[in-house]
Amino acid sequence: MRAATLKRHIDLHAWVGILAGLALFVAFFAGALNMFHHELHHWQEPAHDDAGPARDASLQALLDTVLANHPEAGQRMYLIPGDDPSAIWRDTVDGEPVWRTEHAGDFNDAGENLAVEGSGLSEFVNQLHYELALPKVGIHLMGIVSVLYGAALIGGLLIHWSRLKKELFALKHQGNLRRYWKNLHNLVGVLSFPFHVIFAWTGAAMCCVALLALVMSGLVFGPQFQSAFTEATEAWPTPEASGNPTAMAGVDRYLARAEQALPELEVGWIELRQYGDENAVVDVGGSVHGNVGHYAHVVMRGDDGALLTTTGPGNRTLNDRFLAPVYSLHFGDYGGLLVRLLYFVLALLGCLLFFSGNIMWCERRTDRQGPSRAAAVMLRLTLGVTFGVIAGLAVSFLISKPVLYSPWSAWTAPAERIAFLVTLLIALAAAFRAPPLTTARLGPLLCAGLYGLAPLVQGAFEGFGGWRDPDILLVNGALWAVAASLLLVAGLRGRRQRRAAPHPLWTGTARAAAGAAADPA
Amino acid sequence: MRGLLGTLLGLPLAMMLCGLLAAAVPVDWRQWLVPLMLLSLLVWAALIVLAGLARTPWRLGAGLLVANGLAWLLLQTTSLYGGA
Repeated sequence: MRAATLKRHIDLHAWVGILAGLALFVAFFAGALNMFHHELHHWQEPAHDDAGPARDASLQALLDTVLANHPEAGQRMYLIPGDDPSAIWRDTVDGEPVWRTEHAGDFNDAGENLAVEGSGLSEFVNQLHYELALPKVGIHLMGIVSVLYGAALIGGLLIHWSRLKKELFALKHQGNLRRYWKNLHNLVGVLSFPFHVIFAWTGAAMCCVALLALVMSGLVFGPQFQSAFTEATEAWPTPEASGNPTAMAGVDRYLARAEQALPELEVGWIELRQYGDENAVVDVGGSVHGNVGHYAHVVMRGDDGALLTTTGPGNRTLNDRFLAPVYSLHFGDYGGLLVRLLYFVLALLGCLLFFSGNIMWCERRTDRQGPSRAAAVMLRLTLGVTFGVIAGLAVSFLISKPVLYSPWSAWTAPAERIAFLVTLLIALAAAFRAPPLTTARLGPLLCAGLYGLAPLVQGAFEGFGGWRDPDILLVNGALWAVAASLLLVAGLRGRRQRRAAPHPLWTGTARAAAGAAADPA
Repeated sequence: MRGLLGTLLGLPLAMMLCGLLAAAVPVDWRQWLVPLMLLSLLVWAALIVLAGLARTPWRLGAGLLVANGLAWLLLQTTSLYGGA
């Protein structure tokens, strides 16, 4: 590749990285914790008394109770089986769809809902992951960020292709500091490249759906696009209510029918559409294990349970064959705990990739163009956002249990979000006030301490015996793994600092960097 | 600037190029809409990378506008838009 072309590729890679890097850092860090979404959902709940009144409640009883309280819930509802079954149904508030969740354990024998709003940690972490916790605009923003991330990956591959073998073994603790960061960035990027391609592509596919649909229908296919898209992506077309109420077959019948049609299906949910109407449709969905695209559907009529269609591995349309693996490849839920742990490690390594990319851009810009406000601001912004997000989530975990077991337990979810935001703002303010080297020295240690403490606080409030629960153990283990990773980063940083003088940008003496340009070694 | 132009003008161009592909392939586009949409994301990202190779931003902008216009004109010769 010609030198001029290579330089343009590097410039584009850096530009795209700078533009998308911080958003990707947030998504990857929250994504690492989100690998244990279901376990976190269990972790955030108050410790249960196993003799709770409704834990053996049936799905049918829950469905009847929810419909008695909210007759409109039958238009669209998901029933989730489990120890404490839940119903997720769509409500409409001021014309806007709002999803509500109710658990069997929320109701007393008289069918009254006694639930008190509790923790919302798992939802918050998930929202941070896919929309930066910015309602409405966040998901579209993350879609564009994912495409830019894909462009950065293509550019990165073109840049490094010719010297791939040489750079793979170039991580040394000798030489200058920037070279070390560069080698670390390249090593992590090259080793995890295939997974990053998966994350970028599937992430863009999930977040850009609305944008692609808008442009494709507007420019290419016209008004027919929407119906074609719905047909290509849904297990069965959405039924219209006829207005004629009809007796329904019932949950047990639906489950029996699904088992008959697809015996290997492990039921994950039951979707009800227009329940109670003669056009009602029921989709019993779940997983057929042993496949990457493991999601499967058995769709039937609501009134008599007559089979309408079955979709699963080995029985898919071309569209479904491409659609089925998108979600599972992104979240790694196709291969058990080991794959999820691998994804967790890859997500943390991804954070290191984006962090080191931003640092390299700041130092490179200073070396080449002399001291600049842009490089100094970006360095401090990177440090502030990085440690702000890491510390913010830790503080959300830390305050979750104390608030949940206080008289203000209904405020737990808002308190978790406010704690995150306040911590992030404090970290940003501190990053812009203190010298970057101080932030880089204290940030990882402070954050590691917070992550080490969070499981102890949980144990102190709910009893350390609860740590034997596999879900609790997994989440607490993940928090400690984050703490250990931060200590490792702090150790590497300290080791480097002992062996080589920091770049002038880090000490707030960036003017000296002009001299560094003349002496790049 | 190149990246920004590539991102903004690359999106419609990528979608229209995929539309032209859909018109060229003798299989109903509804049957492979999902792979087509996945491909369009790849084309969009590739266009952003290609945009980075342009010598000057104004040349890139002009080139992308012309390419968008050409792709749109070509699309009009197909029966895709609003077709049965």
